[in-house]
Amino acid sequence: MANILLTTSCNRSCPYCFAKREMATITKEPLLSWDNLIYIADFLKAEGQRHISLLGGEPTLHPECVDFILYLLERGFEVTVFTNGVLSPLRLKEFKRHLVEVTVERLSFVCNLNDPEQTPASDQERERIHQFLSLLGPWTIPGFNIYRLDFRLEFLFDFINRYGMKRHIRLGLTHPVPGRQSDFIQVEKMRTIIERLCSYRKWFDSFRVTPGLDCGFPICKFTDEELGWMFRLRVASHFSCGPAFDIAPDLGLYHCFPLSNYQRRSLLEFDSLRQIDEHFARLHDQLKCELPGIYAECDGCRAQEEGVCCGGGLCQVLTRFREEARIRLPEIEDELAKDSLSE
Amino acid sequence: MNSPKIVCPNNKRLLKGLAGYSVVVRVDELSQAVGAAADVRDLGISLACLIVDSNLPLDQLALSEDQKAIPLVIVSPSMGKFRNLAERLERLRAMNVRIYLPCDGPGNSTALKILSSLGINGCALIGREPTDWEALSDLMTYALLERTPHAPIEPFEFIASHYNPLSTLNWRGVYFDDPAQFLHMDAKGRIALTAAELKKKRFIAQSLEEIGEAAAFPAIKDRQQEWRRFFVENHPCASCNGWKICMGMFSAALDKDQGCSRFFREMIEVTRQYRTQKPSQTYLKFGS
Repeated sequence: MANILLTTSCNRSCPYCFAKREMATITKEPLLSWDNLIYIADFLKAEGQRHISLLGGEPTLHPECVDFILYLLERGFEVTVFTNGVLSPLRLKEFKRHLVEVTVERLSFVCNLNDPEQTPASDQERERIHQFLSLLGPWTIPGFNIYRLDFRLEFLFDFINRYGMKRHIRLGLTHPVPGRQSDFIQVEKMRTIIERLCSYRKWFDSFRVTPGLDCGFPICKFTDEELGWMFRLRVASHFSCGPAFDIAPDLGLYHCFPLSNYQRRSLLEFDSLRQIDEHFARLHDQLKCELPGIYAECDGCRAQEEGVCCGGGLCQVLTRFREEARIRLPEIEDELAKDSLSE
Repeated sequence: MNSPKIVCPNNKRLLKGLAGYSVVVRVDELSQAVGAAADVRDLGISLACLIVDSNLPLDQLALSEDQKAIPLVIVSPSMGKFRNLAERLERLRAMNVRIYLPCDGPGNSTALKILSSLGINGCALIGREPTDWEALSDLMTYALLERTPHAPIEPFEFIASHYNPLSTLNWRGVYFDDPAQFLHMDAKGRIALTAAELKKKRFIAQSLEEIGEAAAFPAIKDRQQEWRRFFVENHPCASCNGWKICMGMFSAALDKDQGCSRFFREMIEVTRQYRTQKPSQTYLKFGS
């Protein structure tokens, strides 16, 4: 699945953001152009793709965000917009005028929400999020990034009920950016995070809300009972890393935000999705030959051998490389050295 | 040579005198299209198409259901905002229409790509203003080599389909400016060879009757042989590798940079690739 970055700018500064610095320093063009959008749409259409996610920065800051969404819908794509919900009154008016007629099957939003007490927003930001969700709540899935061990989810259930949002919560882990200083969940704290997450089981069950786990959760840190609960809810959990990839406004192509500078390519270098998949598969293989996962137990783990678990995210694995100085392959060293040099 | 189609304004008195001809009626506003088409049909005249020469961007045009049956050419200064156009797309796609946009900058080249990717026929108006050859080249490559299905963009589609490496190609007909195919008439019945000459009141005859058989009329014959002048004058265009397609069409705007020359040379190369990609079509083989 392709994530397209409309812009590298953002109007918030979340403490855990693992994209901001990377986006500001690497991408050559701050805004996606029409020509590049058409190129991407044609590329994906030719490959039979039906779904596109629009990201940023904050994608709604792109002055032609509404036009781009409408264009992709006209091309027959289902579109998901990842937003922080802080929309200017002008943009909100545009959304109201042009997008509210689109069905929830064809257009959806993932609104990344922060705990109002742990990560407080300004009054203006709160008001704008309120306006956005009041208008587009039924189109929207709440998203939450876990960046501290004492995270809380209560407010999300309140939001879901208050704004009639989709009854699903997308839960992401904050990931390390190899070679950069940033806040992220340490791999040895995974069990603590999962325990806390599963302590909300009653909330999920009573509010009829399903959790969805983003990449980077290792399956071995869940108990069988916890996995059984998620299985019964058909939780969208994949303990793998990928297979989505990000396309920057300048058509730069990379694995994900934390790895935006690692083996970065251009979409123009590829003729098909298969080539892109092969490129990222090679990247995985190369690293996993050196270090199978984020834990020592990942080596020889059955879940990993059978492809059920990826042994943590690739960015977590790369960070372990750096910290443990186990680098042997010159290709990996060269890529990681780019970060050191650019600092 | 078949008798040329007559491009004329929407004027009942004129149209009455054009029995037996095929006509292209020119109107200024889209709202006049339905009435003009009805007038032509009432008079039993064959309507080739209707040209709407609008000042409004495409997103501001009032499209209606009853325009669906009319073969339309809409000449517009720009596409306007996509968000407004999106509301009209379904109707536009159902119409028998080709959108002409001036390609003097990258904006309209991109607009033509957008329209084409959404299944709407387009045409780049080249040569009206200083041309952005780079943007045009990008558009041409898109029109001919993009593998995702999309609507044709003229004049590229016409050129690529009709180009013969062994002879020259006249594609001015795409703009209704080939006197062998189209003659332009003003409200007084006077005849000019092209739309631009009509505007400048450069007439070749005071009436259609004066012309008689078009192929034998001196001014029309001269225009068709005009290319010889480039060789007589030893003009740089005559030795350009893009000559067979361009035929000196942009000689007046020939700049130091020779963007047109680069463009038409590239066009020939892209045409080769285009034909390789579409082997099922019958063309003269290169080098044969």
